[in-house]
Amino acid sequence: MQFAYLRRVAAGGAVAALTFVGAGIATATPAYAADSKVSVVHGIPDTPVDVYVNGEKTLENFEPGDVAGPLDLPEGQYDIALTKPGEPIGQAILTADDAEVPGGANISIAAHLDAEGQPTITPFVNDTAKVDAGKARLIVRHTAAAPAVDVRAGGSPVFEGLTNPNEAKGDVDAGNVSADVVLAGTDTVVIGPADLNLAEGTATIVYAIGSAEAENLSVVAQTIEGLHSAPSGVPSGTGGQAGTGLGTWWYALAGTGILLLVAGGARAAVVRSGRR
Amino acid sequence: MTVVNRGALAAVAAGAAALAVAAVVAVVSRPAGNVGTEQAAALASPTPSVTGPAVAVVPGALPGNAEPVRPVRLRIPSIGVTARVDPVGVDERTKEFDVPPSVDQIGWYRYGPGLETESGSVVIAGHVDSAEQGRGAFYRLRELAPGDTVTATGDDGTERTYRVVAREEYDKTKIPLERYFARDGRPRLTLITCGGPFDADARRYRDNIVVTASPV
Repeated sequence: MQFAYLRRVAAGGAVAALTFVGAGIATATPAYAADSKVSVVHGIPDTPVDVYVNGEKTLENFEPGDVAGPLDLPEGQYDIALTKPGEPIGQAILTADDAEVPGGANISIAAHLDAEGQPTITPFVNDTAKVDAGKARLIVRHTAAAPAVDVRAGGSPVFEGLTNPNEAKGDVDAGNVSADVVLAGTDTVVIGPADLNLAEGTATIVYAIGSAEAENLSVVAQTIEGLHSAPSGVPSGTGGQAGTGLGTWWYALAGTGILLLVAGGARAAVVRSGRR
Repeated sequence: MTVVNRGALAAVAAGAAALAVAAVVAVVSRPAGNVGTEQAAALASPTPSVTGPAVAVVPGALPGNAEPVRPVRLRIPSIGVTARVDPVGVDERTKEFDVPPSVDQIGWYRYGPGLETESGSVVIAGHVDSAEQGRGAFYRLRELAPGDTVTATGDDGTERTYRVVAREEYDKTKIPLERYFARDGRPRLTLITCGGPFDADARRYRDNIVVTASPV
């Protein structure tokens, strides 16, 4: 039913980066550029699709709410097309041509509704900088047909006035947090509340998807691991009983010993020679 | 024999005794030294990921509670250790490992892997000693040698046995902590305490002793 939404988007410069591919494409790009990690997020409700990359079917029957990848993709330009499952690429419902995948980045490409409810494709660059020990990164992306929203954690706003297709992020203490989404500046909950387990050293990316008008707002989440830092040190002793270095007393003892030996020996020698 | 001569001989004897004591002290307090460094490094090298032709597709569900199996007790028979293990994190201010203040308890790094892990380093650290409480649970950690066994009991009630593969001593300013707190590489147990020369003014040891053990 919601195919009615889907309008053919002849995407040009509007779309930047794109996505998941087979090995055939890998050979087409320069070898020196670092690959990018590319994930694809499906945020268009009720609309399973096939995904074509450079004319090749890469994902079949990709379901709304699913996340594909990450794939290691060489830097380059990619053509992407979404079709109804089984339909030829010529009847794509959403396309993005010459999408740029930069080198060495971590990218999520979201197929979602814009603020007016039209399907679109938005690439996001994921912040994969290390987080401090004990911390987790929370990234929230507004990819729903809905007005500006606030994101609240434990009842108080953490991100305010977020609009489609933008993101807000922050590093927070790792652990559980109860979060919800309200219309900006109000207490009108539109999504949640939901319990989030923000694991230490990860980035949790939450996409608000769907349509307020169609009353099918929900979330899709993606997690990126491996962003942890080690503690800055392991302080585990203040007593000194296990110290292994030789203190100044040791040198004093050894020095005294040598002096006594030399002086005593010399004295004995003098006495002996005097007696002769 | 003259009195003078007797005094000289006594001086020689005292000098010899002093040197003997100094020599014994020097031998006893020598650094623990490193064994198994290469083996420990090999365990830490990332396991190659298996890449298939298919694109992984997962439901974008909110991350749930994946509780790791936390160690609750650690036994090291060869150095007479049986200690309670507490889950700890980092000091809010210094970002250092939050080693339990009570020296007879040791701390498991709760942000890292639990005992059930199939990759990465399970880290347990404890005091070698403290000025107020004396010797700590890990006082004799530097005596561990390759082949010694370590047994960790998890909160799932299961005992897991590890065999020591390496013991290393690092200056605290040079220790590669990211390797010992890694979440990739082979599954392993890492025990950390302090050691090396003690700075009595700063009340601080110069080094860390790190023992790496592999699951048996």
